[in-house]
Amino acid sequence: MPKILVVDAGKCVGCRDCELICSAQHYQTFKSSLSGVATIKFDEISRDVPMVCQQCEKPACQAVCPVNAISRDEETAALVTNYDLCIGCKACVSACPFGAIHFDDEEKRPIKCDLCDGDPDCVKICPSEALKYEEADRATMAKRRESIVHLPELLKLITREKE
Amino acid sequence: MAFKGGYAGKLLYVDLTKEKIEKVPLDEDLAKKYIGGAGLAAKLLFDLIPKGIDPLSPSNVLGFFVGPLTGTLFPQASRYTVAAKNPLTNAWGEAHSAGFWGPELKLAGYDGIIFTGKAKRPVYLYIDNEEVEICSAKGLWGMKTFEAMDKVTQIHNDPQIESVAIGPAGENLVRFAGIFTRNGRVAARSGMGLVMGSKNLKLIAVRGTKGLDVAQPDEYLDSVKAWYDKVLSHPYTEGRVKYGTTELIDMMQSIGRLPTYNMRQGVFDEWENISCDTYRDKYLLRPRADYACIQRCGRFVSVATGPYKCLGKGPEYECLSALGSRCGNSNLASIIYIHHLCDEYGMDSIGTGSVIAWAMECYEKGILTEEDTGGLAFNWGDHELIVRLVEMITKREGIGDLLAEGSYRAAKRLGRGMEYVMHVKGQDIASQEPRAQKSMGLAAATASRGADHLYAFPVLDEGEVFAKEIRQWYGTEYLPEIGERLSPKNKGFMVFHNENYSVLIESLGVCKYGTMVPPALYYEDIIRAIEVTMGWKFSERELKKVGERIVNLNRLFNVREGITRKDDSLPERLTKEPAPLGIPKGQVVELDTMLDEYYQYRGWDKKTGRPTKKKLKELGLEEEAKKL
Ligand code: SF4
Ligand code: SF4
Repeated sequence: MPKILVVDAGKCVGCRDCELICSAQHYQTFKSSLSGVATIKFDEISRDVPMVCQQCEKPACQAVCPVNAISRDEETAALVTNYDLCIGCKACVSACPFGAIHFDDEEKRPIKCDLCDGDPDCVKICPSEALKYEEADRATMAKRRESIVHLPELLKLITREKE
Repeated sequence: MAFKGGYAGKLLYVDLTKEKIEKVPLDEDLAKKYIGGAGLAAKLLFDLIPKGIDPLSPSNVLGFFVGPLTGTLFPQASRYTVAAKNPLTNAWGEAHSAGFWGPELKLAGYDGIIFTGKAKRPVYLYIDNEEVEICSAKGLWGMKTFEAMDKVTQIHNDPQIESVAIGPAGENLVRFAGIFTRNGRVAARSGMGLVMGSKNLKLIAVRGTKGLDVAQPDEYLDSVKAWYDKVLSHPYTEGRVKYGTTELIDMMQSIGRLPTYNMRQGVFDEWENISCDTYRDKYLLRPRADYACIQRCGRFVSVATGPYKCLGKGPEYECLSALGSRCGNSNLASIIYIHHLCDEYGMDSIGTGSVIAWAMECYEKGILTEEDTGGLAFNWGDHELIVRLVEMITKREGIGDLLAEGSYRAAKRLGRGMEYVMHVKGQDIASQEPRAQKSMGLAAATASRGADHLYAFPVLDEGEVFAKEIRQWYGTEYLPEIGERLSPKNKGFMVFHNENYSVLIESLGVCKYGTMVPPALYYEDIIRAIEVTMGWKFSERELKKVGERIVNLNRLFNVREGITRKDDSLPERLTKEPAPLGIPKGQVVELDTMLDEYYQYRGWDKKTGRPTKKKLKELGLEEEAKKL
């Protein structure tokens, strides 16, 4: 069972380490447009949301690619771009509903998460466990368990309101 | 380009009077001698700022600098330094801040920006990589800090823009105005927001999308792992994430080092109301980080109900003490709210709390009367009064006009109450009661920007947690006294050693958390970082010289402005009035003994406090010495 990259935005502290390590590992430089992950900041509410490719089951990026440069890796299930085939038309950039593909002006190629051959560096560096790499069928169980911690409090609130 | 990594390789000179912008390559030899950040600020501003100028005149020069590690993955590599002649001390001024602005500036392709002159109308600077433009700040002037920063993202239709800005306090020339980032970090001290305001400069908006290279990428990534392990595994880090710096309230209270009722005592009987657990249980929503930050000391808080309802960045230790214990205020919700106001209006909460605490003590002693205050009673702990005062200071209304001058100038103007001003060289002492930790007293007295705990940041004698590092940093030769808070012995060496290291850290563009508290990374890691980032080989001895050079150049700036040994002083309360309570009961700061020892290590004349010719020659500062 291939693993999936699970984001827990509630835990993210917004350090952008995931972005930095991604571009450094793949392209030996620190540059956010060469990173497959980007943290979107909402300063007024102090939320940071790491955005990353969802490795869709029906990938729009793959569907629109006119030269079939995007294919699924058999082991990791990541959608990986073959840059020998890619013509840089940016159709995938437009098609992805999450903006998960970024076109880098210098490398002249679309950049997306490739799951680091099944050992993602962002997950390893994240200091807050906001990024996890887990089996799809159990990935969200931990999140569910954690979120339910607040349920008793919530129930109290609801009852209080009714009183 | 000559640089192999770390640097953008370019400085931006902005003449606000002529509205002229120039891009100048950064000289590699200069960078090797001063690194960047605080070091580059020391050198370039020493050369550019003429002797004796009024800090609020167009001849003052305001420089922003990042370091070569800023923008990389080095732990806490988020910092920038801002420097100018200090309107509080009339001598050297600098402040530093984390956030995301410094890295953004680097990624836009600049190691620094130097502002000269004064704009004829309110302006802001907009940088989008190569494109640099001076824009009218017509719609922004008068706005609160975050409001103005949000507005600018709308004007340029780019939510990714990072800004630094001043608020109404800086515009209205409040002496302790600071410069704020979008995520609420402040270059708070030395009145840098005031200098920015005096230049009619509201904001600097930056968008940088370039890459930043390092000299040895593979080795760099190997080192990253080692650095992260060291920082994350340090026993102190866990508390930082959990409590931020608020943990210090509890710790300082326990060692009698929590300034209370101005700085009369180091113990606050209502401390539990502002303790780290109270803070965490009642108001904390989550920790937040700055760029590449794994210390995560930033707090995000919410006061859900009541008159102090607010949501935003939470106060850290200094602020809790300044607006809390120093004013006798233990209403934590009010402190959070007042801190929020300080951020929005754009002023340093240390300066704000200090001047109000001073006024409260003066009122209690009958030095400040209702005649002076316009009928307001300045009672300890009156948080409603503090809220009101923050607004009055910002607008310079009534007594607010006097308080906006900061405690030192307010006492001078009033002609009374100087004995209750807790300052060095005109700048307020941070919340580090030195009778309870002697090294802090010396550090405040010698710091180049006026009273300051961060210039030397002597913390390893604070408690048992650092027993290991105290040996690593200072060897065994100075034990046991160097590790004893109440002993003045060997503190001259400690402050000498720390200042050299600390200015180096600030020059590299990284945070003192992780490198000084907790002292997880040290010279060996810095040497490695410089090698893999910039491709330069430095020995520990050479790096210590770089630090010494920067400290001496800061000192030369001050000597040129007339600073001598007599200015390296502390208020008499701290040197003559024994601490009344707690562990330090009966203690005073033995400043003179410590100063003698300090000057000896520094190679400065003991009578005048001037660097000797021999020392300046050794550090390669002969040219600068000629410019006195
Ligand atoms: S790039 Fe976008 S469309 Fe393609 S798999 Fe990832 S999320 Fe789906
Ligand atoms: S590394 Fe983790 S905490 Fe930092 S920005 Fe990325 S997801 Fe958030």
